[in-house]
Amino acid sequence: MDLNLIKPMHDDYTDYLRDESRAIGQADSISFPKNEYEVASLLKTLYAQGTPITVQGARTGLAAGAVPRGGHILNLSKMDHIKGIRQSADGHFHITVEAGTILSQLRKRIEQKKFDTADWTNESQQAFEAFKDEPALFFSPDPTESSATIGGMVACNASGARSYLYGPTRDHISGLRVVLHDGQIAALKRGDYTASGRTLSFPTLQGNQITVDLPTYIMPKTKNASGYYIEDHMDAVDLFIGSDGTLGIVTEVELRLQPLPQTVWGITCFFSEEAAALDFVISARDTMNQLASVEYFDGHALDILRYQKKHNPGFSKLPILPDHVNTAIYVELHCQEETDAVEGLKTIGQLLEKAGANPNDTWVARNESDRDRLLFFRHAVPESVNMVIDQRKKTNPMITKLGTDMSVPDQHLKQIMAMYHRMLAERNLESAIWGHVGNNHLHVNILPRDDEDYKKGKALYDEWAAEVTRLGGAVSAEHGVGKLKAKYLEVMYGQEAIEEMARLKQYFDPKGLLGAGNMIEPVKGEVSQ
Amino acid sequence: MKIAVCIKQVPSTNEVHMDPVTNTIIRDGKQSVTNPFDTYALEQAVQIKDHLGGEVIALSMGIPATERLLRDATSRGADRSLLLSDRSFAGADTLATSYTLSLGIRELGGVDLILCGKMAVDGDTAQIGPELAEQLGLPHVTDVLAIDAIDEQTVLCRKATDNGYQRLKVTLPALLTVVKDLNMPRMSSLPGILYSLDSPFESKTAADLSADPARIGLNGSPTQVVRTYVPQRIREAIVLEGDESQLAEDILNIYSEVI
Repeated sequence: MDLNLIKPMHDDYTDYLRDESRAIGQADSISFPKNEYEVASLLKTLYAQGTPITVQGARTGLAAGAVPRGGHILNLSKMDHIKGIRQSADGHFHITVEAGTILSQLRKRIEQKKFDTADWTNESQQAFEAFKDEPALFFSPDPTESSATIGGMVACNASGARSYLYGPTRDHISGLRVVLHDGQIAALKRGDYTASGRTLSFPTLQGNQITVDLPTYIMPKTKNASGYYIEDHMDAVDLFIGSDGTLGIVTEVELRLQPLPQTVWGITCFFSEEAAALDFVISARDTMNQLASVEYFDGHALDILRYQKKHNPGFSKLPILPDHVNTAIYVELHCQEETDAVEGLKTIGQLLEKAGANPNDTWVARNESDRDRLLFFRHAVPESVNMVIDQRKKTNPMITKLGTDMSVPDQHLKQIMAMYHRMLAERNLESAIWGHVGNNHLHVNILPRDDEDYKKGKALYDEWAAEVTRLGGAVSAEHGVGKLKAKYLEVMYGQEAIEEMARLKQYFDPKGLLGAGNMIEPVKGEVSQ
Repeated sequence: MKIAVCIKQVPSTNEVHMDPVTNTIIRDGKQSVTNPFDTYALEQAVQIKDHLGGEVIALSMGIPATERLLRDATSRGADRSLLLSDRSFAGADTLATSYTLSLGIRELGGVDLILCGKMAVDGDTAQIGPELAEQLGLPHVTDVLAIDAIDEQTVLCRKATDNGYQRLKVTLPALLTVVKDLNMPRMSSLPGILYSLDSPFESKTAADLSADPARIGLNGSPTQVVRTYVPQRIREAIVLEGDESQLAEDILNIYSEVI
């Protein structure tokens, strides 16, 4: 191995100690391998030395999964080649990319059908010719940060607004290559290696057979990105998706593409009463099949936007919010035919009236420029909240945003919303709530004004984790567990399940060096927020 | 008050496709959008209607696919729309276009106020508004950045100048061209979209308008575009790798090529 790959940490690399969660870690060295061979060599060397290894992509994660806890940072951002296309027997096209490929760049290439195919195999080049003749295709997962890497999205099983219809990243992965702790490589295609009950077995390219007993816990029947994905007869591919870099290093991902809907209409509906908004959500998801996303913004989030529009020139382009509204629901219709979208729009009008809302209080986006305006509106909410926090941090560095990522089953939506509002009011905490209400998956953001608020918020977070668990929900529905939510895994699954997870991890990582601190709560923490 | 808003279909991307023979922009309706400046004119018209009552009519000369954009205007507050569409209108310069639009205004039985965007983002001429006013013999003000007062007889507006603005009072009927940021164009509402699907829409040909064949389309266009082209992008980023002497040599070679 080229020993120059391992570079000691210095000031130029400070950014690599943090991610979007704003947690800051520490490390002794960093590397930017350019291919799988280098990853395997690095892993063998570092593992033999007993060095903790934290894998990084674009560091857009919100759970500090990419924040190092000492040791080495293995940054995969230089592994961004698109390696080929294949067409499976069922007609689907699959694209193979290296883990460091950036989502936005991949999307652009798929949209333009432009790839550098010089190094592709003949089979790939032939499939590419067929791909060019195919109607437009897309890779649906849409995390807020489109600068995420595909590897990062696999690590936390990322979702996004449209996962309401299309499901999370997991549902669109048809294969992986994983470098294991000893440098062996597993090349896994979905369907090739499935567990017998809860015993999973798959080969490595080096000719060894990996056989492992899987944990016995049952996952909640709700949107979930908490803990290892475990099911009877599960696919080996699924074990590594959402494993936060704790079982091996994913170097290559095969994505399954699907037809791009020809008609995409976005509709923001405004309500004067939150109860009406929730009634609308419940009836819409019961009756409509064109919904790709169902998003929610509470009155505090809307007030923050009103303030920003008035006082911050960067937000002056926000559309004017009606004065009398305190809740917004954004729905997106995905249809092949425009007539279906029109029918969907008519249904939405009826459901709004039934819920007691005024259909005139809507913004409908049917073209790109209007969709961009609505996207700007939706992204302005978290951005504004971050600005409020950054402002407060200037006077009190201890202050940081507390954002939840919990989901519950459908029947508990109203109950969980009422609980959030009641408890926030009882503790007199400033907050803004938004998120994927279609999946009963809300991001409750507590905006602490001082240390006391921060402590109260943390305590509330613990209480909510317990209550969400009691309702059969998940403590992390899309951001993954990383380091920040590790302690809630035990609340969600119980001590026995955590021990099973630890045993599973130990099988793949006997020295406990991979993704140290992610998912399994370490004995003592070094990452601080 | 009866207000006409002129709307132009423009390509949605920066890269337009030119007809190599006629040197005019190929307009096939794909990926086309309403000229952004016109969206401000429409919003202003709807705000005036909300204030004074009356009706707003969206008017365009274009290919049949322009109906989509005119109906979009009715989803944002226009009451009805009129499309002037005929193969013989093709290849029109601003003179022929403004003549044709003036026939459209006459077809409407005259209006109290005509609002146009200050220019179209594809042609960038900013000539249509003034020429249309001249064709109709109406007063006009270009580059309007605010309307301070309006009633059935007059409009008091601010015209942007290099150093500030002029405040001008104009007798109606008149034509104003507007700059962007005059207002915040509204989003379509759900009832607006449903209304637009069945909103009154008319399409008129050259014959319907009794147009003079010598004044429309290419025949009526004294402007000759000699050549139009999309500038080639020549910026390029190259990552150099190697040891220091190799890098120095590579950089020297690149400089030699460029200079």
